[in-house]
Amino acid sequence: MRIVIAEDDPLLREGLALLLRAEGLDVVAAVDGPDALLAAVDEHHPDVAIVDVRMPPTHTDEGIVAAVEARRRRPDLAVLVLSAYVEQAFATDLLTRGATRLGYLLKERVGRVEQFLDALHRVADGGTAIDPDVVAQLLTRNHPDSRLDRLSPRERDVLAVMAEGLGNAAIAERLVVSEGAVHKHIRSIFGKLDLAPTDRTDRRVAAVLHYLEDARRRV
Amino acid sequence: MPAPGRATAEPATTPAHRGGVRRATRRLSRSTLVALDQLGAGLGTALLALVALLGVVLVGLACLLWVGRLLVPVALQVLRLAADRERARLGRYGPEIVGPGPVPTGLRAAAADPTTRRELGWLALHGTAGLLLSVVGLTLPLSVITDVTFPLWWYLLPPDDATPSLVPWTVQDWPTALAVVPFSLVWLVLTVGLSPVMARLQSRPGWRLLPPDPETDLSVRVAELTATRAAALDAHAVELRRIERSLHDGAQNRLVAVTVLVGAARRALARDPAAAADVLGRAQDAAEQALAELRTVVRSILPPVLADRGLEGSLAGLAAACPVPCRLEVDLDTGAGRCAASVEATAYFVVAEALTNIAKHSGARAAAVAVSRRADRLLVRVDDDGKGGADGAAGSGLAGIRRRAEAFDGRFALTSPPGGPTTIEVELPCGS
Repeated sequence: MRIVIAEDDPLLREGLALLLRAEGLDVVAAVDGPDALLAAVDEHHPDVAIVDVRMPPTHTDEGIVAAVEARRRRPDLAVLVLSAYVEQAFATDLLTRGATRLGYLLKERVGRVEQFLDALHRVADGGTAIDPDVVAQLLTRNHPDSRLDRLSPRERDVLAVMAEGLGNAAIAERLVVSEGAVHKHIRSIFGKLDLAPTDRTDRRVAAVLHYLEDARRRV
Repeated sequence: MPAPGRATAEPATTPAHRGGVRRATRRLSRSTLVALDQLGAGLGTALLALVALLGVVLVGLACLLWVGRLLVPVALQVLRLAADRERARLGRYGPEIVGPGPVPTGLRAAAADPTTRRELGWLALHGTAGLLLSVVGLTLPLSVITDVTFPLWWYLLPPDDATPSLVPWTVQDWPTALAVVPFSLVWLVLTVGLSPVMARLQSRPGWRLLPPDPETDLSVRVAELTATRAAALDAHAVELRRIERSLHDGAQNRLVAVTVLVGAARRALARDPAAAADVLGRAQDAAEQALAELRTVVRSILPPVLADRGLEGSLAGLAAACPVPCRLEVDLDTGAGRCAASVEATAYFVVAEALTNIAKHSGARAAAVAVSRRADRLLVRVDDDGKGGADGAAGSGLAGIRRRAEAFDGRFALTSPPGGPTTIEVELPCGS
């Protein structure tokens, strides 16, 4: 897997590169700004770009803008966005452009190396990896007359983990229930949310996120 | 006490009439005494006004030769001092006169200040006509006394000079000396009749010109307060933004790096313990950096050194830390108590920011910081002998100093001609 890292903090950039290289991954470039990121994507044709949201010059959303542009140039590029905070607007902005090959994680998750590598691989393989905090914020947002209110607490838990991009087996493991129970919950969720059930992981996550986005727009 | 004497001179009439006469007498004597008191105090302020007027005229003439510009602030202070004395005097006999805002510091500011223009008008009237009224008004009762007592000391006068005013003859012997005494009644009538009028006339320019201009002054003040309040909120938001940014860029990123490195070390532990130790070492460095960053941010919010060592001690620390040799003069009247904590913090940051600017941009070989307290104002002055040409609008550091000062209703002045030297002056109300 060929990886480009864009992160303006030198210590964190080197730490990330060190971590990934120790795992035997191929970090082809580690750059410090949005322009350098685009140049590196053009030059190295990486599989994945790991991008910090806040980068110079204004330290607001340069990372997101650059990631969107990189995806426009190379639609098969997987992007894993790292952010210091849950920045809701950026998260939904990214997700509405299609949730495949996309991840959005808080920076401190990187320290949980197994989960971070798992998310990285999932994104590179065409899946989704959304930070649990981002999902939680999307779900707990107060929608009047929301269809989400129909869900039971357990179904909400399942939906939250599902929205992170995990498969049924992983959901079962996380929630310590059987896979059959997870299946049942998911069918129930789709029913309550008026969504046609499907077994394809990325599509159901996209569906969930689109639903959330739709709810957000209606508020 | 001339008035009671007059009452006994009245012919005796009916009791009711007598009561009315007594009341009228009392009223007349009281108004006369009050008027004389006013004229006496007015003599003091009028003399002060005359001195101030001469000073202002001299400084005005010296301004034509440029050197006078240096004396303008002093002249303005003297003008304000004289006007404030008069405000206090008038306040004793009528409603209190609210004093205006701070004295303008320069020629241009003074010319634009309506209060200063009105005070100058008052100064010209009170230092001349006002002084004359006081002198004449106080001469009247003195003449009553001289005429009454004339027979007691007339022989001490040189023979050619023994002619009291109004008296048409020259006193040469006792009968002509005694004949002077009735003239005191003329003076008495003049005193009672004229002194209240003169006191009123003397006070009129003060009542007209010294209170705040009813419309423009207050609306200007309100506009200024509104602007400074907005500036305070703005400075507050900027400050929060700065704290957020430095926390995010500093401590938070360091801590994220720590978690990444610790995670990497845990993974490496099984494979390659030596590599893990190396990574853990880096993690420790990052954690120490995070602590250092946190300390810096905390210091920049409200320096603990201010609480520990006071303003003087903490400024000494700043001056010592400045890479450009820096002389420090602190003259705080400790009897007046310390300034409000926020004011001390502002003074501290002003000096810190100014010294940082000097070290970074000025190319100066020496700097000087002077902090002093005058009544309820804290004055901060920072000089350097660098290349000058500092721009208060462009330099974010200087703009920050200005915003901080204005947020406290203070004043900021920058002189930095190309080629130097540069002087920054900030004046803050102490708020205590």
